[in-house]
Amino acid sequence: MKTQHRRRSREQRSRHTIRPLTVVAALAVTGLALAGCTGQGSGGKDDQPDASGKVTLDFWNGFTGPDGPALEKVIEDFNASQDDVEVKANIMPWDTLYQKVLTSVAGNDGPDIIAMSASRMPQFASQGLFEPLDDYYSDSSNDSAALATAAVDASVFDGVNYGVPVNFTPMMMYYNKDLFSAAGLDPEAPPATWDELASMVPKLTVDENGDGQPEQFALAMADHETVPVFASMLWGTGGSIANDDGTKSTLGDPESIEALDFWVSLIRDQKATQIGMSGADADKLFQTQKAAIEIVGPWMTTGFDEAGLDYGLAKPPAGPSDEAVLADVVSMGLPAGTSDAQKKAAYEFFAYWNSAEGQTTWADGSGFPPNRADVADKVTASPYPAIFGAADVTDVSKTLLPGVASGGPIMETIFNPSVQKALNGEGSVKDIFTDASAQVQAELDK
Amino acid sequence: MTTTAERPTVQLQPPKRRRPALRVSHRRSLTAWLFLTPTLLILIAFTVYPMVQALYLSFTDYNLIRAAEWVGLDNYTELLSDGAFWNAFGNTVLYALVVTPVTVVLALAFALMLNQAFLGRAFARTAIFLPFIVSLGIIAIAWAFLLDPNIGLISHWLSLVGIVPEQGWLSDPRYAMVAVMIVGVWKNVGFYMVIYLAGLQSIPVDMYEAARLDGAGVWQRFRNVTLPLLSNQTLLVSVLALIATLQAFDQIYVMTRGGPFFRTETLVMLVYREGFQELRFGYASAISFVLVVFVFILSMVQFGYLRRKRVTY
Repeated sequence: MKTQHRRRSREQRSRHTIRPLTVVAALAVTGLALAGCTGQGSGGKDDQPDASGKVTLDFWNGFTGPDGPALEKVIEDFNASQDDVEVKANIMPWDTLYQKVLTSVAGNDGPDIIAMSASRMPQFASQGLFEPLDDYYSDSSNDSAALATAAVDASVFDGVNYGVPVNFTPMMMYYNKDLFSAAGLDPEAPPATWDELASMVPKLTVDENGDGQPEQFALAMADHETVPVFASMLWGTGGSIANDDGTKSTLGDPESIEALDFWVSLIRDQKATQIGMSGADADKLFQTQKAAIEIVGPWMTTGFDEAGLDYGLAKPPAGPSDEAVLADVVSMGLPAGTSDAQKKAAYEFFAYWNSAEGQTTWADGSGFPPNRADVADKVTASPYPAIFGAADVTDVSKTLLPGVASGGPIMETIFNPSVQKALNGEGSVKDIFTDASAQVQAELDK
Repeated sequence: MTTTAERPTVQLQPPKRRRPALRVSHRRSLTAWLFLTPTLLILIAFTVYPMVQALYLSFTDYNLIRAAEWVGLDNYTELLSDGAFWNAFGNTVLYALVVTPVTVVLALAFALMLNQAFLGRAFARTAIFLPFIVSLGIIAIAWAFLLDPNIGLISHWLSLVGIVPEQGWLSDPRYAMVAVMIVGVWKNVGFYMVIYLAGLQSIPVDMYEAARLDGAGVWQRFRNVTLPLLSNQTLLVSVLALIATLQAFDQIYVMTRGGPFFRTETLVMLVYREGFQELRFGYASAISFVLVVFVFILSMVQFGYLRRKRVTY
């Protein structure tokens, strides 16, 4: 009896400790998985003009680099130029912004103005995040006719414009003159074509100790979390990811495969770049003089200057049939349901940002080319806006997958992983990208 | 199971004795419930409510901005033919199958080692336990630095003995999963070790003395005294470890983002990607519910199996 009793109490005890534990543990799984998935609020914004009638606008953006202070300077000038509107910049990493923006807007606690890569805008616009801004462009007092067409068109989705440009810039080729000289190459003659580049790669990729792992790479080229330089290489042979209206996948076309074959074999066979780098890794590789060439935007000039690099800037090497250059556009939009008063206030800021005055300050401070050509001669403090805004580059520059709602997912879940597969030799380029093309088509059909 | 055998005995007890006992226990349980209320409220607000909400969302098409639209079982049927889901499922199972036993065995080994008296024991115990109290996110950042192909200390050490990867460990499809597994083991092994240590110290010394008198060697003492008497701890540790591994997310998010090409994407990573990157919260909820059911079933099986194997003397 006594033993039975003891056994029973143990049984009870174990049941009592175990059952809640399981339940709690099981609950914890969902708790973790879904912590961010609640709250279905939506509706009007609550920040109304204050007693003095001043509208405050919270402006979310990701200019965390040296371009941040330039952005703040323009905002400061705007705030000082009038008494009705005050813009407050909220600068955070782009990654963070993309993660937070949807929940914040849904929770009515979000930004009043949202900047993001124009390539991501269609995805969010198709989900109903953004307010149409066509009336901004139809109002001639906003002087938007002076803006670069490609910059304005980048934020169009389904015939409606959801954004106003913050910046428009082509990617340029940075090359390290010291490393060129050390390799016996003319530091004033960067590669102008793919063939020239291919002939320089064996000299610029250096494996001194012969362990198979180069100490120095010819290129710093990222395959994920980066501006889509790799994808823009498809243009060089007349290839692309999708056709112009974003309805048909062209990734498996012979032209696209030709470009991919060229780059994959250059990287795999010649070890032209380190495989598996993110954009930040690639920047670091070039910055520490472990790579001779990087194709990237003007935001890196400060970092490379500070590292004391002796670098030159040139138009990226032209492909055999096309010299198109990748352009990166950041646009700013308003969350759906923005009140008229807020919209009017935001339009005032948009107009100031893109005014001759605003763009001069922005270009001088950030090194980005101005969004309007008519201020080019006023930008004198920095040499970079003129280089990045040179007509021979901007004339051939274009954005990747403009107006395609699934552009972001296509890059991140299909194109980049496929490039990684190809670079790791997990199948032939043709097989991998024929398969990827079918997946792209499925995304486009959604 | 002993319960069934006992029940008649309990029922035979005279009602006179039972009633007051029940009333006391009622009063006691009321007090208990009152003490539990604050915790339960938190649990309801932050766990039960979101779970119910998520269950509802898993039957909808929802993007946080627009009202949720009821789609019935569409999300669940889509799952079955979704390659990304099965890839993540496979990765999760692989991760759990490797990390759980390795963690449990290592925890036991460390506990046995650190149950002996030796110089620096307190330091060793602290060193092994320390990772557990540091945020996994921070640990993962530190490991990512250590494994960096260009500036990483571990990469440097390995290169000294001639092991030079062609690319970063974390971007190499052959090693990325191994790397996140190592971090997963390293992070939690200290906690399970402490549970085992407590168990070891509760084993009466006379058991070992008796075993020694019976002529049992080191291995036999471990096999027939230590291990069986630790079965409670083993049950707890292995269930906790399995549940934790099935939820692997933090270090993967920080170190590989699920890459290269989804080689390290676990179910929770996929939930995150579908929800926050593809803005499909309904579908993401459906995936997380499949995970809940999976974890629940596995835990039940584990309980059933290990409880039957439990030994007491």
